[in-house]
Amino acid sequence: MTEPLDALFWLSSTVAVFSAWRVFRADSMVRAAYWLMGSFVGVAGILVLVGAEFLGLVLILMMAGEMTIMAVFMVMFMMNPAGLNPMNMVHQHRTSLLAGVLSFVGLGAIALLASFPQAPPPDPAAATSDLGHELLGGSMLVFQTAGVALLSTMIGSIALAAQRGRYGSAAEGSEEPGAPIDEEDA
Amino acid sequence: MTTPLPLWLAPAVVASVLAPAVYLTWVLDRWVGARVAGRRTSLGQTLASPLAEAAQLMLQSSPRAERPDRVTWLLAPASLSGLAVVAVATVPLGPMLHIADAPGGIVLFGAAIALVMVAVFLHGWSANSLFPLMGGYRFIALALSFEMPLALVLIAAALPAESLRFSDIVQSQVDVWNVVRQPLGLPLYLIATLGASFWGPLAFPDAPDLAGGTTAESSGAALLVWTAARYALLVALCAVGAAVFLGGWLGPGLPGPIWLAFKTAGLVATVVVIGHHVARVRLEDFVVVAWTVLIPLALVDVFLSGLLVL
Repeated sequence: MTEPLDALFWLSSTVAVFSAWRVFRADSMVRAAYWLMGSFVGVAGILVLVGAEFLGLVLILMMAGEMTIMAVFMVMFMMNPAGLNPMNMVHQHRTSLLAGVLSFVGLGAIALLASFPQAPPPDPAAATSDLGHELLGGSMLVFQTAGVALLSTMIGSIALAAQRGRYGSAAEGSEEPGAPIDEEDA
Repeated sequence: MTTPLPLWLAPAVVASVLAPAVYLTWVLDRWVGARVAGRRTSLGQTLASPLAEAAQLMLQSSPRAERPDRVTWLLAPASLSGLAVVAVATVPLGPMLHIADAPGGIVLFGAAIALVMVAVFLHGWSANSLFPLMGGYRFIALALSFEMPLALVLIAAALPAESLRFSDIVQSQVDVWNVVRQPLGLPLYLIATLGASFWGPLAFPDAPDLAGGTTAESSGAALLVWTAARYALLVALCAVGAAVFLGGWLGPGLPGPIWLAFKTAGLVATVVVIGHHVARVRLEDFVVVAWTVLIPLALVDVFLSGLLVL
């Protein structure tokens, strides 16, 4: 049983690390975003292997949407049609080098120095329920209510913000006004 | 708790379940299409139409778009098929027979459907061509609108089962099916199904008005895989709908997998008939309705289901 699991671990971690490296080598925003998603899928595989099935699957579920939205927004903001034109995805070399080395050393230290329990992986359903209690405890209901309230607020604020468009009220249609005619040129 | 199939048998079972289902769905789609168009076709012609289409596509040459993202372009149809297979594999076939009945089954299914958005967008994006790209963007707008109601109605169905596992959800419907207990669930789920398989009234990304949308530059074997994957995705969505809302394998007399097949076929037929009889809506209108009507209705569904459990 251990050997296929080990193989899956190495596969997931290779996918995670390789894709993470490709994020910085990719020359387009869409490619970078989906390489990042690939990296998260690798991490999700590891989470599933250590018995946190729910966390792993939710990570994929969320990241598929997040990365797509991120890619579309970047494309919209960057004046790069569809993110198809090659562009340099790496900036602020010194700061990022420093941040990268520091987080690598920090995480590496945790991996090497922390003492991990030698227990068999827990039952996934029990692990999910434990995680819920650990994160939210007695405030589960409050949190859920706040979640619904936040969602309604989001929809409401989008509806309000979209009410007045660039060319007048959205209800009246958003037709661009004609270009002003310069009488003197005519 | 059901017993899993041995791991080596699982791919064979998925293939033997999915291949006939895809073929029959394809036949049904062509038959309903011919009936709606008033064409008279013989039974033999109808039964052979998918095979004829497949043969024609296999013989086609595959012209390449100008400078596509080649890897993504090749992988998009393959990943759509893979995601359909994953989605089908989550459905328990019978009380003692399942392929991948994960403890977080509905999350696994949700993750597969969320990745469909990535597959369709990349299919449109990677061709480096106008119409496919517009199809890809359309699907993002569509997917972000139907995924919330989809997730919420599945969560509502998980409440009485007190489990995210599909077999527990089926088992929780022994007395009364979720379609009765949660009347909002199945209609909302069917709308989401139309969206997730971009079918009929919600067929935005591959639409004729975009010269085929994400498939505008596709031909040959790649288009065949894409087409088959869409039918497989529809079958997967309907099989999950049958398990979650129509009691899955539950039913008198016949063995469980037969009941599941009947219920899935019923949902597939519903979607295919809707696809040929309901005109496409406007994407903007659908997005507005999804966020202002469907999501609130789905939340009501969750609240009512929660109240019933309490």
